[in-house]
Amino acid sequence: MYCSSTLSKTRNVIIYMIVLLLGLICLLPLWNIVCISLSSSAAVSANSVGFLPVDMTFIAYRKIIEDNQFWRSFGISALRVAIAWVLNTVLVVLMAYPLTRSKSEFRGRNFYMGLLIFAMLFNGGMIPSYMLVKKLGLLNSIWALILPGALPIFNVIMVMNFFKGIPKSLEEAAVIDGAGPMTVLLHVLVPCAKPCIATISLFSIVGSWNDFFSGLIYIQKPENYPIMTYIQSLNVDIQEMLKSGATNATLSSVAELSNKNLNAAKIVVAVIPLLMIYPFLQKFLITGIVMGSVKE
Amino acid sequence: MKNRRLYNKVFALGIAGSMLVTATGCGAANDTIGGDEVKAAGRDITVTLGRQTLPNAKLPDGDTYEDNAYTRMLKEELNVNVVDEFEANGDDYDRQVSLALSSGEIPDIMKVTSKDDVKELYENDLIMDLTDLYDQYASDYLKSVYDSYDGRALDNVTFDGQMMALPGTNPDAGPSEVWIRSDWMNDLGISVDEDGDRAITIDELEKVASTFKDKNPGKAEKPVGMAFAPWLTSGDPDGTFSINSIAYALGAFPKTWMEKDGKIIYGSTQPEMKEALARIAGWFESGLVDPQLGTRTWDDITALLSNGETGVTFGTWHIPDWLLNNVRASDPKATFSSYAIEDKDGKVYCKHNDATAGYIVVSKKCKNPEVVMKIANLFYDDLVNDKDILKKYPEVAKYQKDGVDGSTRPFNIEINCSTSLLDDYSDIKKGVNGEISDAEVRTVESGEVIKSVRNYLADPEKAEVADWARYHSRMVGIELMNTLIDEGKFEWITPVFPSTTPTMETNQANLDKLEEETFIKIATGAVSVDDGFDSFVKQWNDQGGEQIISEIENSLK
Repeated sequence: MYCSSTLSKTRNVIIYMIVLLLGLICLLPLWNIVCISLSSSAAVSANSVGFLPVDMTFIAYRKIIEDNQFWRSFGISALRVAIAWVLNTVLVVLMAYPLTRSKSEFRGRNFYMGLLIFAMLFNGGMIPSYMLVKKLGLLNSIWALILPGALPIFNVIMVMNFFKGIPKSLEEAAVIDGAGPMTVLLHVLVPCAKPCIATISLFSIVGSWNDFFSGLIYIQKPENYPIMTYIQSLNVDIQEMLKSGATNATLSSVAELSNKNLNAAKIVVAVIPLLMIYPFLQKFLITGIVMGSVKE
Repeated sequence: MKNRRLYNKVFALGIAGSMLVTATGCGAANDTIGGDEVKAAGRDITVTLGRQTLPNAKLPDGDTYEDNAYTRMLKEELNVNVVDEFEANGDDYDRQVSLALSSGEIPDIMKVTSKDDVKELYENDLIMDLTDLYDQYASDYLKSVYDSYDGRALDNVTFDGQMMALPGTNPDAGPSEVWIRSDWMNDLGISVDEDGDRAITIDELEKVASTFKDKNPGKAEKPVGMAFAPWLTSGDPDGTFSINSIAYALGAFPKTWMEKDGKIIYGSTQPEMKEALARIAGWFESGLVDPQLGTRTWDDITALLSNGETGVTFGTWHIPDWLLNNVRASDPKATFSSYAIEDKDGKVYCKHNDATAGYIVVSKKCKNPEVVMKIANLFYDDLVNDKDILKKYPEVAKYQKDGVDGSTRPFNIEINCSTSLLDDYSDIKKGVNGEISDAEVRTVESGEVIKSVRNYLADPEKAEVADWARYHSRMVGIELMNTLIDEGKFEWITPVFPSTTPTMETNQANLDKLEEETFIKIATGAVSVDDGFDSFVKQWNDQGGEQIISEIENSLK
């Protein structure tokens, strides 16, 4: 026991070193982006920015403040995240609860479960989804970004498993006191499932903030793009444009736009909201995933 | 019973809803009588458009693609309202077009970016034959512009004798020019091009690059002689960072389909290409070509230039405007001169571009198809040739002066005469020399260039980067083409521009990959020139190249 404690100490040190190294590897590219955003554009185009800003300047950030489209897209994304978050959470909880009932209590349970699993494994693909959204008249509205993903099935299963892990006796006690199903759900299960709900909230927030592709497909006016779609549209490939015969004037204005330090600054600003949410939900996240994932 | 009624109601509502959506889809033209009658009756025509946009169009605050000086002029002149069914940038636009196509509902008028798209739309019977409309409505000037391409422009959009699109034109861009730091040449006291015809030999290029590398005038840590992008060759004659200019001077035309003795050949597999690669491989071995060839990316090469690590590069006439300007931004002394590379007989080979780029197609369901030609007349004839129109619409004049991007016009294509580049240049030259007054300059853009060139010449060292760039692109870049024409140095190649054949669809991507990988291996000495190239030609033919050639030959019959 005694000698093993020094052994475990050195082992811990080594493990921490490795973990620290891995952490750094993840962090450095992000730090590089921050440095680029703070460097002068001449230094950036000369590729001389490493892990310290060169000719430090805030001009990129000043330009962002003046960029109306950036803030417009930022607002659209914020609204989208807010609606999607509420909608996802409510729908997931409402879907998960009945599915945790036994077959005798909820006769269609297996049918709905099968439906969910099927929809989780197979989807219609891009074009049928596009046509559906189009026929529903959702194109170009913020709902096109929210409704197709309003019920994330993976999250339903996670919440279901979490509910199943809550002792039955809690629920029975409530029923004996005269609680109906809704009361059981809202006053017994949901409060117990806070970590799990925090986890799915995080998934939903991060997912809808980061999603750029549905914006590209369903939103047909660049001025209505959400923030990530806007940022990806700034990343223009000049070589491709050259091949497709872009004019000199077009190339010049694109070269001006694909100004790397400005884009780096936009990435930094766009990441800030997520960085601010993470620490608050982090502690729930781990318990949430672990407890939701294991079930007899 | 009750349930049933409810179902019926929901069902009906659903149908009504979806009909509403489809009804507002294509052909949203509300008032639909023939074009001229509409104008006479003072009623509006509304057309829906699909428009390719640019993320940095420099529109003034409050203006959008749908509502800007150009669309307001259109409304005023022709009583046409535009409603954008969809807008998207660059490649994202192609995706929107594909989605629209797959749902079978396209806007009244839209741009597509490739000939294959036009073909697909034609085969699916979604677009209208424009032959008669073109004959009846297109202005004489517009027709003369298309005719300046000797039929190559309209041939591209003619299917079974029907004109299926209004093509954007794509004038020749000239050769890939060799851009050399002239301030360094002066400092080192070296000179090339003794006869002043702006064409140098490969040996002269070698001499300059090796002197730069040895003497290191940029005082760089690791000077590089010549750097090329990993793909080495380009299908465009003016390919930037490519070895095209060297290959062309050796008679090799990479990534080009050509007709030779009644047969189709592919330029990259010809013996001349081997010679060109051998030359690069030799330079790589002697250290004259970037030792990091193959891993040096586009951005890295730009960085080499702006750090003063290399002073020789290759590219189209307008790279000073958007690429070399970085060099000047880091080094106020930097100046460039440009040269073409001549072959052993003193000729400069260049190839024609495909005559068209970007196509405007009209939906079969469009109620006022003649609007297409009228818009084209207004924007590509009146706006260019009629000076009064700018006085009538000062807003539009301001747009042109401020450099608002041309993509904000209803059609994001250019319709220019095949010699437009040189015509503009001759205007600029005369303007700079004071031979014509500012009012006589034909386009607003040329007027701006003249001002910039004057600014630059007044004080080259202190001039703004933008003035430096415009001076270099026009008075150096286009000037080179002008001189070559005056000196009679050009030897033009007219390639074949086949539409995508079935085997191309399945194999072309792999063939291109094979080509680029092999070429870079040969250039860096990973495989020997002889074995590497011969086995490449064999593999290329076996993996579908031969098949593609026979398909192209059949399609041309």
